[in-house]
Amino acid sequence: MPKALAVEPARFRRKGQLDLKPIPLHQYDRPLATERQRRGDAALKAVLRHMLVVREFEAMLGSFKAKGSYQDIAFAYRGPAHLSIGQEGAAVGQALALTPGDHIFGSHRSHGEFIAKGLSAIAQLSAHDLGTIMEGHRGGALLHSVERHLAAPTVPALAENFLLLGLLAEIFMRDNGFNRGMGGSMHAFFPPFGIYPNNAIVGASAGIATGAALRKKLAGEATIAVANGGDGSTGCGPVFEAMNFAAMAQYDTLWTDQNKGGLPVLYFFSNNFYAMGGQTIGETMGWDRLSRIGAAINPQGMHAETVDGTNPLAVADAVQCQRARLLAGEGPALLDVECYRSAGHSTTDANVYRSREEIAAWEVFDPIASYAAKLVAEGVLGDSDVQALRDEVASLMAAVTRAAIDPKISPMIDIAADPTLIGRLMFANAEIATPTGTVPLLAQPETSARIRQDAKKARFGVGADGTKLSPMRAITLRDGLFEAILHHMTRDERLIAYGEECREWGGAFGVYRGLSDILPYQRLFNSPISEAAIVATAVGHGLEGGRALIELMYGDFIGRAGDEIFNQMAKWHAMSGGVLKLPVVLRCSVGSKYGAQHSQDWTALVAHIPGLKVVYPATPYDAKGLLASALSSEDPVIVFESQRLYDTVEQFHAGGVPADYYRIPLGEPDIKRDGDDVTILTIGPSLYAGVAAAGEMASAYGVSAEVIDARSLVPFNYDPLIASVKKTGRLAIVSEASERGSFAMTLAANLTRFAFSSLKAPPRVIGTPNWIVPGAEMETSYFPQADDIVAIVMGEMFAEKNVNRRGLRNWDDRELARKAL
Amino acid sequence: MDTPVLMPQLGNEISEAQIDAWFKAVGDRVEKGEMLLTITTPKIALEVEAPASGTLKEILVAPDELAKVGATLAIIAAS
Repeated sequence: MPKALAVEPARFRRKGQLDLKPIPLHQYDRPLATERQRRGDAALKAVLRHMLVVREFEAMLGSFKAKGSYQDIAFAYRGPAHLSIGQEGAAVGQALALTPGDHIFGSHRSHGEFIAKGLSAIAQLSAHDLGTIMEGHRGGALLHSVERHLAAPTVPALAENFLLLGLLAEIFMRDNGFNRGMGGSMHAFFPPFGIYPNNAIVGASAGIATGAALRKKLAGEATIAVANGGDGSTGCGPVFEAMNFAAMAQYDTLWTDQNKGGLPVLYFFSNNFYAMGGQTIGETMGWDRLSRIGAAINPQGMHAETVDGTNPLAVADAVQCQRARLLAGEGPALLDVECYRSAGHSTTDANVYRSREEIAAWEVFDPIASYAAKLVAEGVLGDSDVQALRDEVASLMAAVTRAAIDPKISPMIDIAADPTLIGRLMFANAEIATPTGTVPLLAQPETSARIRQDAKKARFGVGADGTKLSPMRAITLRDGLFEAILHHMTRDERLIAYGEECREWGGAFGVYRGLSDILPYQRLFNSPISEAAIVATAVGHGLEGGRALIELMYGDFIGRAGDEIFNQMAKWHAMSGGVLKLPVVLRCSVGSKYGAQHSQDWTALVAHIPGLKVVYPATPYDAKGLLASALSSEDPVIVFESQRLYDTVEQFHAGGVPADYYRIPLGEPDIKRDGDDVTILTIGPSLYAGVAAAGEMASAYGVSAEVIDARSLVPFNYDPLIASVKKTGRLAIVSEASERGSFAMTLAANLTRFAFSSLKAPPRVIGTPNWIVPGAEMETSYFPQADDIVAIVMGEMFAEKNVNRRGLRNWDDRELARKAL
Repeated sequence: MDTPVLMPQLGNEISEAQIDAWFKAVGDRVEKGEMLLTITTPKIALEVEAPASGTLKEILVAPDELAKVGATLAIIAAS
């Protein structure tokens, strides 16, 4: 919507045709003699050796899975082994053209890319740097173990052993694995060599690598991110979302100076022609050549090219060329790297979907055999040299394997001795210091009309005469959020904010209003309607040292970013063994008045997923303080905001909302009204129904209710609640989520356990029914109202008072449950 | 004939808004449909157009001040 970019009818309403850029297919034809001159014999030989290492590593895994042994080593490996035998040319060719600072993000089939990138980085790093990296990994424990058990004459050779043992121990889920065994085969990584997370979800690395590229661009790094995936991932929507995000026109049209240009990310598709048992070309995809999809993304067609993945030098040439384009600000880029997978999808694959003839026809293009033959024909190596290389690699692999299965060298993590060890890896539980930096701004905050407007408002929302002030005259929940955001955004350049209408519009509900006058595009921008890409890019940006504040306009759109929230944002800290941090704040509004797909409280969905912190503030004071904590957190935090509360003024905190910066710790429920006879615990906007109900119970029935606002769902400190229930003996939990499987039910179950001896009645959950949210006129029949709370609490917990029931909720819960309601 | 410039109805939940800036001064010529001022509600910023052509005769609400929906913000005199 920026007014600077006019949508001119004359430009769009004229007759014509789109001319698509030609897409090169297998254009590489450089003679080996020329490559020999350019790269030297040692480099060409290293390419062969690296392919052999990748092949032997996977042959070893395949052998353990198939026979329980490799060479003379017996071992039962129970985890996954998605092998890339036949695809080594793609992995090694790619790595050959990358620097250690280029970062690769992989798939479930990425052992090859991991090993090739590691070997390439080792070949490029100095002995001093290698020593520093290896000493720096977990206090040098793995290095010292390698020095003892896999000693080598040179630092690079030692580093190769370090690489292979760290990976294999990780695959075997050992404590000395690169990620303490928390990642395993499909998730291994080692950032110092530029190897970022591999990912068991097909296509998931596309968005994460895109976010990593965004961070690289903003940090001014002259390196690229590579999203490795297979041809099958082109059937995944999030991959297209990611590619579009990387190609947004605004990088050229609106971003300024050194931030101009598309993102430096290469989408590298190892096209092995099969997506598990489905054949991509001819069966499950519409494209005839994968590279065609680049034409759908931008006028440059993503510089897409189809490359011979069986030839590592052809791949290296293509990657080198794309890398130069990316560093020149011409990204993103796409490579379709054809490399037939001769092994099955996994070790349970019986190849029932392809013919023996087809497999045999591709055998002549095996990257290792054909490349070795070319080196021999060119005189770079003799046949005996090739055999010597094979023997050396086989011997290396046997030594590494012995070390990886030896419990004295590679012990399992002892969970029995430390039962909550994995639990403690879930969160960093750390905060940054209060930001105090100076960052470039378009204008000083004081010049913003919104800030001038807020400065004149009362900090407390109730006037001296007891009347509530209008949202134009007192700080609202919206303003509280804004103040926390303003503080961080204007003092911490690592932090960026984006969402579907965050800039000029100011967010659909005005939280960001005024920020576009102050912050340049690269700090605050409108994203496409791509919830998956919004979340995934924030994850990648965070993994690379950035911080992100992202917005899903409605919590109901969480489903559109399901994998990115549940499997990516939630998991990478723990799956990295605590190495990676994910400072991502995801704001979601909870709607009202717009019916079934725009009004749902889905807090329980995210609270259910281990690895996410979840808050739901209901007052301006809490909103500002909790968002400040979320923005300071090194962990991912999801902040729910009720649309009904954006205009709410502060009515509880004495003195109102402080103008200065402050934080409220995540996880602390807050007593909003003292009482003795019953505890009403509320989540989100139910606070106001709870307080109104408490007022009526006190005045009409002489029942004193204590109202506690949960404020946070994860973490959650039960102590204040237990103390309250010990006093009152009764507990009602009110929320606007469907009752079945809700967080209120979790609280009720736990409180029953933690305070059983104090309870005079079972805790009562008052949520919403297990059916759709109706439209505006019927909402009061759906969300618990003060009347409902009074009726249920008085009727069920104070029967002796004989209060007539008024609420609608007289239904038979057991009968409804039988009917799936 | 004078034409009042009124604070527009901004949705059924908004009762007042703030004047942010006037783009014309008293005495200036204005054309019907021309952007005259910007206002903000708690949620959004909006532009208000001149309801008639003429001369801006009087500005009744200064920048940063609040005004109720329907209040007269300025007067345009037909010239």
